[in-house]
Amino acid sequence: MKFPSPVFLLLLAAWPVNAALADATIEGQVALPKTHAAPVMNKRYEIVSHGGILSTNPPLAVVYLSGDFPAPAAEAKITAQVGQKDMAFVPTLLPIQAGSRVEFPNYDNTYHNIFSYSPTKRFDLGRYRPDERPVPSVLFDQPGLVVLHCDIHEHMRGLILVLPTPYFVLTDPDGHYHLTGLPPGHYILKAWVDSNTTLEHPVDLRDGAVLRSDFP
Amino acid sequence: MLVVTVVTALGLFFAQRNVADNARRELEQSFQRELASFHSLQEIRHTALAERSRTLARRPRIHAALEDNALDLLYPSARDELLDVIGDPDQEASESEALAFNARFYRFLDNHGAVIPPPNTQGVGPLRPEEEARLGLRAVPDRAQTGYLVRSNHVSGDVIDEIIAMPIISSETGRPVAALVLGFKPIELSVRNIPAGILTGIWTQGHLSLPGVNTADRAALARKLSGALAAGDRRQTSLPAVIAGQPCLLFQQRLNPGSPFDPAYEVCIYPLTESQARQRRLLWQFSGAGGVLLMGAFVASHYLSQRLSSPVERIVVDSEQNRHMRRKAEAALELTHEELQRSARFSAAASHQLKTPVTVLRAGLEELLAQEPLSAPAREEISGLVHQTFRLTNLIEDLLLLSRMDAGRLQLQFSPIDLAPLIEGWLDDLGALPDSLALAVETDFPSPLLVEGEQRYTTLVLQNLLENARKYNRPGGRIRVSTQASADWIVLTIGNTGTTIPAADQPNVFQRFHRSALGENVPGHGLGLNLAMELTRLHRGELRLVSSVDDWTEFEVRFRASRRGSTGGGVSA
Repeated sequence: MKFPSPVFLLLLAAWPVNAALADATIEGQVALPKTHAAPVMNKRYEIVSHGGILSTNPPLAVVYLSGDFPAPAAEAKITAQVGQKDMAFVPTLLPIQAGSRVEFPNYDNTYHNIFSYSPTKRFDLGRYRPDERPVPSVLFDQPGLVVLHCDIHEHMRGLILVLPTPYFVLTDPDGHYHLTGLPPGHYILKAWVDSNTTLEHPVDLRDGAVLRSDFP
Repeated sequence: MLVVTVVTALGLFFAQRNVADNARRELEQSFQRELASFHSLQEIRHTALAERSRTLARRPRIHAALEDNALDLLYPSARDELLDVIGDPDQEASESEALAFNARFYRFLDNHGAVIPPPNTQGVGPLRPEEEARLGLRAVPDRAQTGYLVRSNHVSGDVIDEIIAMPIISSETGRPVAALVLGFKPIELSVRNIPAGILTGIWTQGHLSLPGVNTADRAALARKLSGALAAGDRRQTSLPAVIAGQPCLLFQQRLNPGSPFDPAYEVCIYPLTESQARQRRLLWQFSGAGGVLLMGAFVASHYLSQRLSSPVERIVVDSEQNRHMRRKAEAALELTHEELQRSARFSAAASHQLKTPVTVLRAGLEELLAQEPLSAPAREEISGLVHQTFRLTNLIEDLLLLSRMDAGRLQLQFSPIDLAPLIEGWLDDLGALPDSLALAVETDFPSPLLVEGEQRYTTLVLQNLLENARKYNRPGGRIRVSTQASADWIVLTIGNTGTTIPAADQPNVFQRFHRSALGENVPGHGLGLNLAMELTRLHRGELRLVSSVDDWTEFEVRFRASRRGSTGGGVSA
């Protein structure tokens, strides 16, 4: 079975909300930390920790618009997935809007036990098989970073970045991003680089305009 | 004697000390062996726990609890992981060996070294708050640390638990983010490894855990140990102690050197009863041996000193006597010398004084004899007087010579002298003498017959001896002159027939002016033999009377054989 790429999943998660509300656009590039890993096709991303600071490898950033946006009104539907495939979380880094429900399908032929002790969201899905139905899911109602572990496979690590905004996008490996459908107004544009680093710029969005903003 | 005693005493002292040292060393080695086995067991436990701790840090839930800031979930997460570490309390008494890896309690320290309190004591082992507080450290340790914790126990009194703090190293930062502190029942060595009567225990925080010792003794020991340790003597050392009235030796050594926990000491108590009994036995044995040795040495030294001192004493006595006699002899010699000198001076003076009138007398007589006319009887009378003057001159000459010899003034100039012509010349003169003895002469000597001497005096010796052989002969008698020669000596033997010298007179024949009874009719003045002997002595020779029996008197004179052809040195009288 072909597994959808992380970027596809991200767009799947963000697009329906964004497209309907706004039409301003921001694009630019986040200066990502240099990586020593050689560029290869079909990169697998992993969560690495340097001195307790978590990030993806190769580096990716999440760019989002910070402002006073309303939370989703109704009981959130399943808006995103973090699957377990080949003993790894896919995607390894998932930005979602607070109030979203994420399901954790098991694509491996073994048990997984996904849990999080992060203050943002503590949960423990217990051991479940690939054919577990319904697929276990968790509602993330508080913004913050959630570190995913598997109790069975100690090397597995995943991140869910719960954001208080519906306007966010994952950069490509070069740091380029393109955020469309934004509402006009004065906001703070933030770029999450790792668990310890979030860069920000104030931005002034006008209807139909395309703003260029690079980090830093 | 003193030396032997001192050596024996020293030997005893050193042997005794050596025995005591050996006993002590043996105990110390036993202590070290026990400690070594204890430490190796501890090492094994540390290794096992370190591995356990590493595994634990990797466990996702523990890891998540520590690194995702969820310390409240640490104990619930660890409970399952550490289920096998906390032993079943019901098994505690039964399986002592398994206890080495069965903890009584555990707690986590946060990254500042403070104890993370468990939400409840279920499954983590109960601890009083003050006991729990003692587990905390100033900082989270970066390697295994050992400590000892005094715990009050209502049943069996205070007990001491061994605590091990294992760091939990973050797999992300590589630094210790927390520590797991486990409490164990202290490792007890298997009973079969410990020799009988030896007590082992642990001292920490002024508290001594020593099973098998009553409370009073234990308290006294704890005080003593605390005092010794407070005095700064923290090196492994021994202390004398008394337990239940028995003397003991107490060894102590730090169990957790360098640990941030309170210092703890392994305490080992060895009863000295047996060792002291052995020492006493050895002391008796040594004393007995030493006593026997001392007695032997005493006897030997006494005997030796007797042996050594008797000649010395004798020498002392002898030398005292010798000194006394020597003094007397010296005094006598001095006196004699003075006498001799005086008499020699007198003889010389008298001789000189006499020679002149004798010469004048003879000259007068010869003048009378030359006058004409003289009657025949007068002439014969005067001739007799002249002859007497010659005798008088000879006597004076002999006296002069003797006095010179006595005064030590006569010196001989040695040269090789041939005796043969001297003897033959004299024998020729004998034949020409106008007497009626009709003596037969036998000679048996080679020619030449060389001796060391001075012609004038050697001749005098021969003349005197041959003259005596003639004078004291009987009519129809005989004279025999023979020689024996050796490498060093020429021995001349002169024998004659005639009246023998009475045995009583024989020792005195060489004395001056001695004339035996038989010589009354014989002309002479008793100086000839004395003079001959003195002169022979000056020749470094010897004159003696060989025998005088059965009509035969024999004298023997020894001269030194001459080996030279020329004049040699001299000798003085």
